[in-house]
Amino acid sequence: MALNFFDQFLSPTHLGIPLVLIAMIFPWVLYPSPSNRWLNNRLVTLQGQFFNRFTQQLLLPLNQGGHKWALILLSLMVFLLSINMLGLLPYTFTPTTQLSLNMGLAVPFWLATVIIGMRNQPTAALGHLLPEGTPVPLIPVLIIIETISLFIRPIALGVRLTANLTAGHLLIQLIAT
Amino acid sequence: MLSRLVLTSGSALKNSGSFGACVVQASRSIHSSPQSKAPLPPLPEKGGKIRHGIFPEELFSLLYPKTGVTGPYMLGTGLLLYMLSKEIYVINHETFAALSISSVIIYGIKKFGPGVAAYADKLNEEKVAKAQEVKDVAVARLAQAIEDEKKEQWRVEGRHMLFDTKRNNVTMLLETNYRERLHMVTSEVKRRLDYQVELQNLHRRMEQEHMVNWVEQNVVKSITPQQEKESIAKCISDLKVLAKATQARAAV
Repeated sequence: MALNFFDQFLSPTHLGIPLVLIAMIFPWVLYPSPSNRWLNNRLVTLQGQFFNRFTQQLLLPLNQGGHKWALILLSLMVFLLSINMLGLLPYTFTPTTQLSLNMGLAVPFWLATVIIGMRNQPTAALGHLLPEGTPVPLIPVLIIIETISLFIRPIALGVRLTANLTAGHLLIQLIAT
Repeated sequence: MLSRLVLTSGSALKNSGSFGACVVQASRSIHSSPQSKAPLPPLPEKGGKIRHGIFPEELFSLLYPKTGVTGPYMLGTGLLLYMLSKEIYVINHETFAALSISSVIIYGIKKFGPGVAAYADKLNEEKVAKAQEVKDVAVARLAQAIEDEKKEQWRVEGRHMLFDTKRNNVTMLLETNYRERLHMVTSEVKRRLDYQVELQNLHRRMEQEHMVNWVEQNVVKSITPQQEKESIAKCISDLKVLAKATQARAAV
């Protein structure tokens, strides 16, 4: 085997030009933007229906105020979904196997939620640090623990995505041979 | 098909100038081209013609004048052989993976393609049917309204008879009322007049009685005792004569 299993995770460059941007932009090509017709062609109809149902499922547990996150959450999820699914094809590169991309997505999102929470309702945001029904002597320890967990969260989520994808692709390669 | 996708999305990029992948409203705010309000041309019935599932028909018609029918196939074969021989495309384990995955994908598309297309068509049909239903319901309601209006107009035509009857009724009531009152007036007037007549009668009777009483009183006053005795003797003699006559009649 001339290639080892980890070659697929190298960021692709050709003649010194990083091609990772093409890999990231490519899914945009697959989703045609809907025109202002009422009845569209099949692809646009299916795509529209899929996005509608997806968003509906996504926003089920949220109240009305949470619905303004719909666009960014939907676009993020569809982006990640398509990038990861496309990475299963041979001769493709999955950008999300790079830790840099995942941390670049995770940290701003997490920081945004924390800052917005602190700005709009600081007491409720701080109240999340203490779970309900804890015995009184444990309160200081628990607050420290919850703060640490809050700050670890972006790193945890980013690394989780990277590891999942890397492991999955690797596993598929292993099973394929 | 994918190549056509790239072409169309490229043109869409030219038109829209935004990265709105799913929401038209988000893309509209960064539109750079002027939006025309002209009616859109209708969608073509079928998508662009493709051959072997990937290559658009335009490629074949492009190469046809120069190379004939086999042109594109020769091009494809030549490219493939060139890349293989020069090891630009290396055959490794990924090749086999690519072959298996592509065969699965092709099988999937052939099997489920028509089903998915039918589903997409069904979605559109349902949309149209819903709007059509609204239109039909509205049209039916309006037709019903027209029917009702016609009926109302027919009813209105007959209404003058109703008015005539009512007018007659009212006239009769007025007439009856008038006659009643007239009768009452006449009866009242008659009563007053009767009263006056009675009064006069009473007056005359009283005068008569008074006069008779006065005459009697005068007569009784004027009867002297002499006259009285004479009259009593006359009465007794008369009675005797009568008694004799009666006795004679009874004996007979």
